[in-house]
Amino acid sequence: MAKPNFESRDKILSKLKGKELVNCFQCLKCTSGCTALKLLELKPHEIIKLVNLGFVDELPSSDIIWTCVTCLKCVQRCPQKASPYHVIIALRNLAVEKEAKVPETYMKIVSSILETGLAEPPQKIVTKKMKTVDRECLKLPKIKPPRESFQASFMKAMEEK
Amino acid sequence: MSVRETFPRLDIELVDLSEVICCGDPVKSVNEFAANFLAVRVLALVNLTGQDNLLVPCNRCHFTISEVQETMKNSKSAHKIIELLKQEGLDYNSNIKVWHTIDILHDLVGLEKLRQAVKKPLKDLKVATHVGCQIIRYSDLQRVDDAENPRKLDELINALGAETVDYAEKLDCCGAALTRSHPDSALSLAGSKLKAVQSLRVDGMVVSCPDCQLMFDARQKEAGTTVGTKLNVPVVYYTQLLGLALGIDEKKLGLDLNQSPVDQLQAKICV
Repeated sequence: MAKPNFESRDKILSKLKGKELVNCFQCLKCTSGCTALKLLELKPHEIIKLVNLGFVDELPSSDIIWTCVTCLKCVQRCPQKASPYHVIIALRNLAVEKEAKVPETYMKIVSSILETGLAEPPQKIVTKKMKTVDRECLKLPKIKPPRESFQASFMKAMEEK
Repeated sequence: MSVRETFPRLDIELVDLSEVICCGDPVKSVNEFAANFLAVRVLALVNLTGQDNLLVPCNRCHFTISEVQETMKNSKSAHKIIELLKQEGLDYNSNIKVWHTIDILHDLVGLEKLRQAVKKPLKDLKVATHVGCQIIRYSDLQRVDDAENPRKLDELINALGAETVDYAEKLDCCGAALTRSHPDSALSLAGSKLKAVQSLRVDGMVVSCPDCQLMFDARQKEAGTTVGTKLNVPVVYYTQLLGLALGIDEKKLGLDLNQSPVDQLQAKICV
């Protein structure tokens, strides 16, 4: 039998700015407008309910938290300011802390930022006439990398929970 | 490119940052503190330029930076971020005004000035607009336009002489954020919206976010396969369209870099 775990629940609550999610009355406005509902069966109201009841241990390792497209419609439309998007982001952070399965791309982005300051290095593109061009050909200014101290401070920031 | 070409002609001078870093958006899903640190650091870099207005042409970056301004007002972690920046010799300035391409042109430059600057009115051109998600939601933060009925992009296009259409899928998302976890679903979202736009029989689609543009323009062919349709929708970022109306050469607007059939849209303008 599944049992609620209030310690894990508190951990999620501590990651949120407010505790408005406890005011959710399951009106389903979030789910009925959710971009990821049709394709990936994300039901934000269920996530809010599970968190409120303390059934949270499975959520960080579930793929469902990675189906949110972050369109923010649920935040906008929630009459109770329960803000499912922010709860999902908190659950994603918890998944990283617990070393649960996290989509690889996210970790790649973090290491790219650490190395270059950017989520992705500047890329060359091919024009319709099949010419490969970079920023220089396009007369765009050079991208200036962050000062040396950036790496250390970003690493420190990544250690915060 | 098109922002750099068009803005000076509307008397907005652009100053580049002395160093460039990510706004933090993708890091939010990994560690929100680190994401906030990055966004605040961007504002600290703006502070170095001595300017108090920041132009962010991307919806996601605009949201991330706007939200962090709010977070810094009442978060327990604000002082920790300020401390980290101090160690780097950087200072956070809470008074920087964050603009997006759409509101700076609509609210600061103004539609009248835009109308006067037009050299080639875009007569007989009919386009669909895609405002995207994160510049209009959520309204507790100051956003660029109304969350459920955004009009500014339409008005900006109308000021150039072109017509815009309202359609049921107008507020649908491009799916870009899903490329990191569910790439196929991301493409289906882009594909469904493009399919809807194609059925409107308009001359193209105008977007206000480079990430949405990537989905609708560069990845249009792939998106078409997910919805079983051959897609043929010219997609441009707003300032590319603006540039054409101002009579700027297409190459300077980066139009040869768009992967969707923008020549169809340009052909309509040249006639």
